[in-house]
Amino acid sequence: MAQLLLQLTGASRSYGDRAALCPTDLSVAAGQCVAVLGVNGSGKSTLLRLAAGRDRPTTGQVTYAGRVMTEDDLVARTEIAVVGDLASAYPDLTVREHLLLVAVAHGAGRAAGGQVDRALQECRLDGHRDALPGSLSSGQLQALQLAAVLVRPRRLLVLDEPEQRLDPGARRWLAGLLSGEKAAGAALLVATHHTELALAIADHAVVLSDGAVIAEGPPRVALAAVQ
Amino acid sequence: MTAVPGPVAVPDSTGSTFALLRELRRGRGRKQAASIAFWIYLGLFTAAVWGGSLIVAAYRALRHPPPATAASLRWLHATPAGLTALALLVLLALLRDALWRGPVTVPGATVDWLLGTPVHRDRLLRPSFRRSAAGMVLAGAAVGIVPAATLVALGLGGRDGGDVLRLTGTGMLSGALLFAVGAGLAGLAERYPVTWPWVRRATPVAVAAAAGLAGLAAWAALGALPAAVGAVVLWSGPWGWAAQGLTALAAHGAQAAQPAPWWPVGTGLLAVAALAAVAAAQRAAAGVPAAALRARARTLGAMSAAALSMNTRGVATAYTAAGSRPRRARLRLPAPRRRHLVLLWRDLLALARSPSRLVAAVALAWLAVGLIAVASHGRQVSLVPIGCALILGYLAAAWLCEGARLDADDPRRSAQLPFRFESLAWWHAAVPCLVLLAAAGLPAVAACLATGDPRPLALLAVSVPVLVAGALVNVFRPPLTPGMFAGAETPVGNTAVLNIIFWYAWGTLLAVVPMTVLLSSAIRSPGPGSLARAVVIGAGLAAVLAAYAARRAGGLRTG
Repeated sequence: MAQLLLQLTGASRSYGDRAALCPTDLSVAAGQCVAVLGVNGSGKSTLLRLAAGRDRPTTGQVTYAGRVMTEDDLVARTEIAVVGDLASAYPDLTVREHLLLVAVAHGAGRAAGGQVDRALQECRLDGHRDALPGSLSSGQLQALQLAAVLVRPRRLLVLDEPEQRLDPGARRWLAGLLSGEKAAGAALLVATHHTELALAIADHAVVLSDGAVIAEGPPRVALAAVQ
Repeated sequence: MTAVPGPVAVPDSTGSTFALLRELRRGRGRKQAASIAFWIYLGLFTAAVWGGSLIVAAYRALRHPPPATAASLRWLHATPAGLTALALLVLLALLRDALWRGPVTVPGATVDWLLGTPVHRDRLLRPSFRRSAAGMVLAGAAVGIVPAATLVALGLGGRDGGDVLRLTGTGMLSGALLFAVGAGLAGLAERYPVTWPWVRRATPVAVAAAAGLAGLAAWAALGALPAAVGAVVLWSGPWGWAAQGLTALAAHGAQAAQPAPWWPVGTGLLAVAALAAVAAAQRAAAGVPAAALRARARTLGAMSAAALSMNTRGVATAYTAAGSRPRRARLRLPAPRRRHLVLLWRDLLALARSPSRLVAAVALAWLAVGLIAVASHGRQVSLVPIGCALILGYLAAAWLCEGARLDADDPRRSAQLPFRFESLAWWHAAVPCLVLLAAAGLPAVAACLATGDPRPLALLAVSVPVLVAGALVNVFRPPLTPGMFAGAETPVGNTAVLNIIFWYAWGTLLAVVPMTVLLSSAIRSPGPGSLARAVVIGAGLAAVLAAYAARRAGGLRTG
């Protein structure tokens, strides 16, 4: 049986008297993809922030490979790749230099250049390798974030609406990319509005509404339950 | 590199990552150093040109400090508690800085691209703390000059230049050490988020303590505070230790009894506390949570962008957002049925959801009315108190224009409303006028009933619309343009500074200056003619200013 990597046990998050996420149980194993679905404000991003260790649960616990999850943990920083809101970028570094920085920081050493060039090609950024971030479109910036995932080691990917700002062709490419990651043994937790993406890559789906899980199971079953 | 199913060894990549960053930025460092050198040159040049007279005055004061007078002794008695209160407030402000800004800060790009990697964070965060702490120590030394200069001006600077220099040096040393303590404590608070609620809870306590100390200072100045109380205050903590040096040298200068004979010990304790706090914070800096750094980077980014475009409202909004949590509106007002009442309803909601604005505006309005009442009592009605009262009234009006500001901040917000953006300025005037008339009307009615003279009510009724219209002129001010910063060369100098001042205060000047003349004239001459003139001209001025505000709003909408 695949190793359980991410586990939320009764994890909830409240802001004052408002519950953004009710107590939730969720687990993601190596080689498994869990999709989180729901309308805007249903608690998807809150759940993913907890899963990425960027926020602490009000009640319950979030663990990664048996350790309490926090983004400051060295193991988490080494093994978990997060793609969230549009990241800020160094205004003075080119697209390629951003990726080099991430690759070297993850210990790629001399292999960094080759990895970066492959990632640029994979993410269709080859023509923008020497562009500064200020000249990129929001879709290209999103692709840059996804490329940064490819130049670093990762056991768990936490992706908050990775399809946003991507055109339909790029979305199909994304589905292929994430299926490949899963096949290579990575665990994936993906929040998305795109049901086709969820159906294409997820083994398990969780549907949220008003911060509570209203359906879960295989993606087709979970989606059918709420329709 | 592909996904891996098994555990990943943590790489030792810190050295190579920083070497790469240095390599990528080679050549850009020289450009940055040149830019810093330019700004230092500009600062020194400006200080030399504009601060020349100040430096000459300071030099003269150093040579011949004002002698001590009878009042000087009263000030000296107030010094221990007064300076301690100030030091306590400074320390509190520095500590609260940790709730939203620093001292450990990194750019947003560093948060997003480096903090999530396994590089050792101490290489990133400790230098940031050291830079902040050094800056705060320098700022503390500069701030320390202010109480020293005040003591010199009060006749407590001693007999000659040497005494003044000693006093100034001690002020600078105490200020630098106090700011170092603040930097260290703020660094520790930033590292441990569990302390943030405690800092928030301690704020009113510390402010109350400072108010108590200010009360003791007043008691000491007016009566005789027991020496033991003064000693307790001066040894009550770093805030008291910071006050000892200046207190002791001021007493020496006035040749009075020494209230702080052990001041070198107090200053030594402050130095030890500063060293300990800075060392502990330097150690702790590497552990500042990424979430805290991310939030601070976002806030500072928003504030810098707003500050660079001279958008003070944007700076304040970013600061407020930094400390706020997601919240729900508790207070509700039933929506009106008539379409023309909807903006009044919207503005009332804006005020109801920020009640501090309402309280501040009412307090300012009462102050303004009080000042005019005092100014009207004398035989000579001076323009200055009337002008000051109208400025207070203008500030009250500006505080109440929150609904208009929310629309002006982003004209797209009102895109769904069935009104032209220009006409919004007129509608937004209604609530501030009604609130100000009600708030200032209470004391005005009391004055009318007491004196039997209805003139205060008539003058209030004409002043309020003018002040609100002036505030709206400022609310709908157009964006700054590069040309305004460049200015134009004239025989009396460049107009850039005037451009900026007028851009900020145009509405204030248009409302306050003519109303000052009209009001003082009406108060000075009790006849009905001056009152009628004030009412007619004031009403016309209000209409013109409101039309001008509407025109400015239209310009804002079309960009």
